[in-house]
Amino acid sequence: MTKTTPPGPAVRFDAATKAFGAVRAVDGLDLELKPGQTTALLGRNGAGKSTTIGLLLGLDQPDTGSVRLFGGAPARAVQAGRVGAMLQDGRPIPRVTVRELVGFVAKTYPRAMPLDEALDLAGIGEFGARRADRLSGGQIQRVRFAIALVGDPDLVVLDEPTAALDVEARRALWDSMRRFAARGKTVLFSTHYLTEADENASRIVVIDRGRIVADGSGDQLRRAAGGNLVSFDLAGRPSEGLSLLPGVTEVEIRGDRARLRTDDSDATVVALAQRNAVRGLEVAPATLEDAFLRLTDPDARPAAARMEENV
Amino acid sequence: MALVLDYVALETRRTLRDTGFVIFGIGMPVLMYLLFTNIGGGADSEWKTASMIGMATYGALGAALSAGTGVAEDKSLGWLRQLRITPMTPAQVVVGRALTASVVVLPAILAVLAVGGLINGVSMAVWQWAVVVLLLWFGSLPFTLLGIGNGYRLSAQSTGVVNVGCNLGFSILGGLWFPMQFFPGWIQGIGTYTPTRAVSELGTALGRGEAPGVLAVVVLLGWLLIFGSYAVVSYRKAARTA
Repeated sequence: MTKTTPPGPAVRFDAATKAFGAVRAVDGLDLELKPGQTTALLGRNGAGKSTTIGLLLGLDQPDTGSVRLFGGAPARAVQAGRVGAMLQDGRPIPRVTVRELVGFVAKTYPRAMPLDEALDLAGIGEFGARRADRLSGGQIQRVRFAIALVGDPDLVVLDEPTAALDVEARRALWDSMRRFAARGKTVLFSTHYLTEADENASRIVVIDRGRIVADGSGDQLRRAAGGNLVSFDLAGRPSEGLSLLPGVTEVEIRGDRARLRTDDSDATVVALAQRNAVRGLEVAPATLEDAFLRLTDPDARPAAARMEENV
Repeated sequence: MALVLDYVALETRRTLRDTGFVIFGIGMPVLMYLLFTNIGGGADSEWKTASMIGMATYGALGAALSAGTGVAEDKSLGWLRQLRITPMTPAQVVVGRALTASVVVLPAILAVLAVGGLINGVSMAVWQWAVVVLLLWFGSLPFTLLGIGNGYRLSAQSTGVVNVGCNLGFSILGGLWFPMQFFPGWIQGIGTYTPTRAVSELGTALGRGEAPGVLAVVVLLGWLLIFGSYAVVSYRKAARTA
């Protein structure tokens, strides 16, 4: 089973929808994850990330459309031990040690990895004899990560694994995640931290209001957000006409400094040089944050989509 | 099945490590039994036997209900949801839970019977001791199902409250603490149809070496059916949401 990964996708959503009352938490989702890929599901709180993950794991059934794991129903993949997950807000059960807890979960899987290997991989080898519910927040998350990976599943799903963790604990968890992914595993994690998605996933799927609004690498998303940002000191000169410069799509004046968003930063800079306006010039790529805010900005959505929602 | 037993081992360990369970689930029935049979110059041997059965039933009731509190707790911790994404099936989880409850009722039953035999000098034939243990053990099954039903249906907090209510109500109405004769007639009438009364009556009859009453058997089986259905319905409801 280890090397004979089937050629089909690990995960496949076909026009899946899921509504809770009047809220369409997942609204026509199409998504395919290739085996061995690490993907981030990025979105604000309430964007539909957890519902998507619930559908993926078979905890919820889609109202319409379909969700397949390794070519079959999610429940079948779960029963076969091909899936491990770290759900949101889970806490370890009281009065058991880390070894007892993770060891028990290992027994439920047909091809679990050795317990020590799992604990080491999650970075909690030294806490094995401690009671799981008495560990710190960061350690608990790593115990929960160990629970997700101890069965040596083909697909691991992590729902906001680093929420409420400090920087150090966060880094430790991502190190563990990358070491596990390096074994050729498919990993899907959700987050609302842009840098986490950028640093730890080769693919970022941005979800908003239950729909995918962008899908690609961090660089692709940045480019899609509208190129680069050129800023310079006005040094008392007027700001008129800047919006007419080549490539410029947006002008913002902050005090004595102009910030131009541009599709073609080279042309914009050349034009500025011709106007002899180059003072403290800075050219920076649009940040992922810019990209994200633009993609999920309610006002920037097409009118048709908004109207449809009000019906 | 091996997996279910692994689960039972994990859950039993958790339960027995719970100081509250050991004190209130095992210590309390033993203490009450000693108090109620030795205060004020001591009791006759018939009450010592009847109270032993009553307090062992009371201990089994408390332990069985606490299994339900455990279910509610696991639900609120997200553990039941976590188990749903392991290869363990929901049926294995429920069966494991019920078996766990059947294991953790034993310490209370055995402790009270041991105190009865060793300290209070209750004497019965070996087969009677064995049959009484089996009866109390089987008789705690309706309580287990009630507790599990509560655990799946209610939040952790309300499960605790409801379980305490069930525990007190069934103990008192079933005459586990005080003999039924002390109560007004209409309470005795209600008490006859409680599962706790049925268990203690069957146990007492066996302790005396008499044949168990048919009514008590019917009442007990009736409650088994009622609480069994309640547990199944609650579980199905929870499985859709938990």
